[in-house]
Amino acid sequence: MTNPDNKQIPAKGLTRREALLWIGKVAGSAAMLQAATLFGVLAAPVAAQTEQVKLKPLTTGRKTVLILGAGISGLVAAYELGKAGYHCKILEASHRAGGRNFTIRHGDFIDELGNPQFCNFDKDPDLYFNAGPARIPAHHTAILHYCREFGIEMQLFCNHNKNCYTQDNTAFGGKAVRIGEYEADTRGFFSELMAKSIQSQAKLDAPFDDIDKQKLLDFCRSYGDLSSDFTYEGSVRAGYKSGGILSPGVLKTPRALADLLQSDFWAGAMHFGELSDQSAALMTPVGGMDKIVDAFLSRLVGKVQLKAQVQKVQLLPLGVEVSYWLDGQLQVEQADYCLNCIPAQLMAGIENNFPADYVGVMRQLKRGKLSKIALQAKERFWEKDQIYAGISWTSQDITQIWYPSHGMFKAKGILLGAYSWDPAISDRFSAMTNQERIATAIAQGAKLHPDYAKYIEQGNSICWQRMNHMLGCGAVWSEDLLKTSFARLQAPVGSHYLVGDQVSYHPGWQEGAVRSAWYAMESIQQQEQQKQRQGAA
Amino acid sequence: MKNLILGCLLFCVSVQAETFHKDAQYCLVCHGSNAQGNEAISAPNLAILPDWYLSSQLQAFKSGWRGHQTTDAYSKEMMAVAQSMSPEDVKRAIGFITAFQVSKAVETLDGDISHGKDLFQTCAACHGASAEGNKTLGAPPLAGQYSWYLLRQLEAYRSGQRGAAAQDSNGAMMKQIATAIKTDQDLNDLVAYINTLALPSTKVKH
Repeated sequence: MTNPDNKQIPAKGLTRREALLWIGKVAGSAAMLQAATLFGVLAAPVAAQTEQVKLKPLTTGRKTVLILGAGISGLVAAYELGKAGYHCKILEASHRAGGRNFTIRHGDFIDELGNPQFCNFDKDPDLYFNAGPARIPAHHTAILHYCREFGIEMQLFCNHNKNCYTQDNTAFGGKAVRIGEYEADTRGFFSELMAKSIQSQAKLDAPFDDIDKQKLLDFCRSYGDLSSDFTYEGSVRAGYKSGGILSPGVLKTPRALADLLQSDFWAGAMHFGELSDQSAALMTPVGGMDKIVDAFLSRLVGKVQLKAQVQKVQLLPLGVEVSYWLDGQLQVEQADYCLNCIPAQLMAGIENNFPADYVGVMRQLKRGKLSKIALQAKERFWEKDQIYAGISWTSQDITQIWYPSHGMFKAKGILLGAYSWDPAISDRFSAMTNQERIATAIAQGAKLHPDYAKYIEQGNSICWQRMNHMLGCGAVWSEDLLKTSFARLQAPVGSHYLVGDQVSYHPGWQEGAVRSAWYAMESIQQQEQQKQRQGAA
Repeated sequence: MKNLILGCLLFCVSVQAETFHKDAQYCLVCHGSNAQGNEAISAPNLAILPDWYLSSQLQAFKSGWRGHQTTDAYSKEMMAVAQSMSPEDVKRAIGFITAFQVSKAVETLDGDISHGKDLFQTCAACHGASAEGNKTLGAPPLAGQYSWYLLRQLEAYRSGQRGAAAQDSNGAMMKQIATAIKTDQDLNDLVAYINTLALPSTKVKH
């Protein structure tokens, strides 16, 4: 594997911009941000959006709303509109509410087309896995707003754990390496390289001055844990080879830079935790992500109709008419408003009288392909390997192994044995039976944990592109389509709104779902206020 | 709580109670309202197909000779679904689907329709002069099917992705004929012509 950014250090002095770009390339965005702040280039990050939807009590008479889909956006809409006095009803096609917010435990039915499964995990509150969303970053203030309002107990969720492994069949003889060692060595070597380059220049190009040069060298030393002469000789960040408590700690011998670069861990996985949506500290509800769904449902008793499959959506001069199958009968209902959370690619196949360009956009959204495989381990063997929570990475199809962020020292645990969002990999998993998927996950996991198979009792798998009534994870918008058509899909057609994470710039996240619902509800409120003004005039 | 039910208009229509099973609704998740297909997920129109053809293709998917030796992910999806269906499920699904009538006209492709008509004469021998299908010859109706689906299947026959299985004698014949279609333009013109053909009146919703 070669480095696509295999650029030489500039032969002559570094300009400030070159230095920043170079640090960004080798050290990830966090280092670049830190260096940039050091140079006084950037202001502090802009505060995240914090406004919340606040609907005024309805004063324009009885208003009805049909909500199609009981995923997060539909639940949020029914809850908020209900509080404001609208009469809401949710029609959900599946046997369960929650949409992709789906926590799988003992006895649950996984309705994958062509691969229906029941979950046979032991009956134990700690033995579950979040098949859809599993973590919430701090800037997802809309979904966290409901966690706070409903008093949902939260815990920390760990993405990045230096004791987890990176494994690449083409590097280190295929042997798994601790992430902490990999990171300490690569950062050490690159810091040393950069320090040497800076030192070799008698004078750096303007606008650097001597103080900047010293700061840059100090940054290198600090970033790479270099010795006083700016060389990398190993770091305690990689963990001691021996000693360190009652005897002097002995550093591990650094791995060769060429070997480190042979692995493609640096190309993406190493910087995963730098992404704003994935960076520490993340949270997750104690006991499973569906605690959020449960909290909504307990406030929406009698308003959710399960197994109601929409057959037709008709715009009326005033309002919307929806036909749906329920218990083998075709039902028809009308309402003043319709919030439609049906995945666009499925709505495109449902009879409607929408404008052609509106359906035309729906037809162009692509199905997100994403697979997860969960494995029940009879023993928490990873804890003996000093791993508590976090993610290991591999170049194999399983891509990741997640160790649970809860249930430490319990007898058993549920591992996420595979998690891939690469469509080609997800296609390969979807072509397998559940048994084949589990067997593949075990065989590939054994490259990271010898005796893996010995510990795995059973498993379940989910290919979201095959899940009944969804046929996809987060909607895939092409860049062009986002530019030309997002506004078209976000705007109402009469009193019909398409909502959900699919109508956000953040598909695949609950935050997108909540904010899309909020947007539609603000618009409904405006429509009502306009009617009131017209009535008064 | 009655006031929670949206009472504006509520009536029920009884549909094929004797053949209907709620699981048959599953077909509509992909194949859309009235089983009339969904381009967004490449699901073809089933409402134009007769019971004997639905039955033969479900068996084909079930036994894997359709869907197995192909790179077509959509065929693989259908194969997985067919393989999870019991013989009872298959019967119910066919009963459910054949009860639908077609209300949607298919969009035509831009193409040389008269050239397509000339090319179609070979097809007419089995599929019928109006592409209405022929049970005896195992040739399905083509009228009313989407152009993108007809094109994809013709391309699959031409490239050997479909029609190669030993059990698929009708497919083998179709493969031979599709291979004789020389250019993509011919393919396009042919499909453009098929899209102009009217559906059998028994299948059309009035």
